[in-house]
Amino acid sequence: MQEADKSLLVVVRHGPYQGQLAREALDAVLTAAAFEQPVSLLFMDDGVFQLTPNQDGSAIDAKNLATMLAVLPMYDVDRVYVELDSLNLRAISPESLTLPATPVGGHALRDLFVNNAHLLSF
Amino acid sequence: MKIAVVVYGSPTGSGAAASAYRYVSAALELGHEITRVFFYGEAVHTATALAAPPQDENDLLSRWQQLGQARELDLVVCIAAALRRGVLDADEARRHEKEACNLAPGFTLSGLGQLTDATLNSDRVITFGG
Amino acid sequence: MNKIEVEGATVELDREGFLRDLHQWSRQVAVELARREQIDLGDEHWEIIDLLRSFYKEYKVSPAMRILVKQAGIKLGREKGSSLHLLRLFPGSPAKVASKIAGLPKPTNCL
Repeated sequence: MQEADKSLLVVVRHGPYQGQLAREALDAVLTAAAFEQPVSLLFMDDGVFQLTPNQDGSAIDAKNLATMLAVLPMYDVDRVYVELDSLNLRAISPESLTLPATPVGGHALRDLFVNNAHLLSF
Repeated sequence: MKIAVVVYGSPTGSGAAASAYRYVSAALELGHEITRVFFYGEAVHTATALAAPPQDENDLLSRWQQLGQARELDLVVCIAAALRRGVLDADEARRHEKEACNLAPGFTLSGLGQLTDATLNSDRVITFGG
Repeated sequence: MNKIEVEGATVELDREGFLRDLHQWSRQVAVELARREQIDLGDEHWEIIDLLRSFYKEYKVSPAMRILVKQAGIKLGREKGSSLHLLRLFPGSPAKVASKIAGLPKPTNCL
């Protein structure tokens, strides 16, 4: 079986502090990466809030998600994308994000879904 | 076709857990292979042995157990998600010094590696909830 | 109740020997935790403990074994970036034993 056939796209659609979903998405990504599986990560809808700067979880006794997301490069997860419309709708500039994420829309967005074998959505 | 099923939805707070069950039954009827059912996030509550729904309501746990036994399904509950929410087997209850355990028979606690493994060894991964 | 006495203070441990309160960690506590694992901490152990603690401090995530091995290779030199090196220092289950001595959260057995 070819490795490219089993590439994984993890789509993150929820905000950073809505329950445990964001944290559990990150755990799934880190696990796939620790097993050296090709994994891409796409932030869209409210998921883009996970990448906004100056997060402070301490006010609600939550661990800072942006701090944890910063571990992704250590796991060699460098295919990180963010959906352009989701950013625009929320008036977030791509330059302000806490991770180097590639803004995608249109064909590039479609290709991301088409070119990965499996999709996990959180 | 080899299909892995991932469930995130709470059994009571969403329709996802029940949909996942109906999907798995239907896929098996049609001759597909279910490589694994992985319960993650709020879906770990599906596997508590202590839920006691009214007799005239859908008993999702029993249905998973019966289907699991009849079709030898690999019903895996994510250990990290389960510990966080209080679904423990005897070993974990001991490890974490808890007074009781409640993982229903027919389910196994295991790591997220089982999710990665399921995606690797399946033609399709179908997600319910999230 | 599992506990150790370190410099006059009582430090409580859970049944597997992990700190109940991670804030109680100190280098002297680490020495005692290691002793309970029959490990006499030397410079090479401390390199790994410091690596683990600084990784956790920066990301608030405990590294998976493979990532720890890789980081050891980058930060401490290639010959130390091997699971055999870690296994020699922290026999049995290196990630778990080293996390315990370094005062990181108890692993969830996830990998």
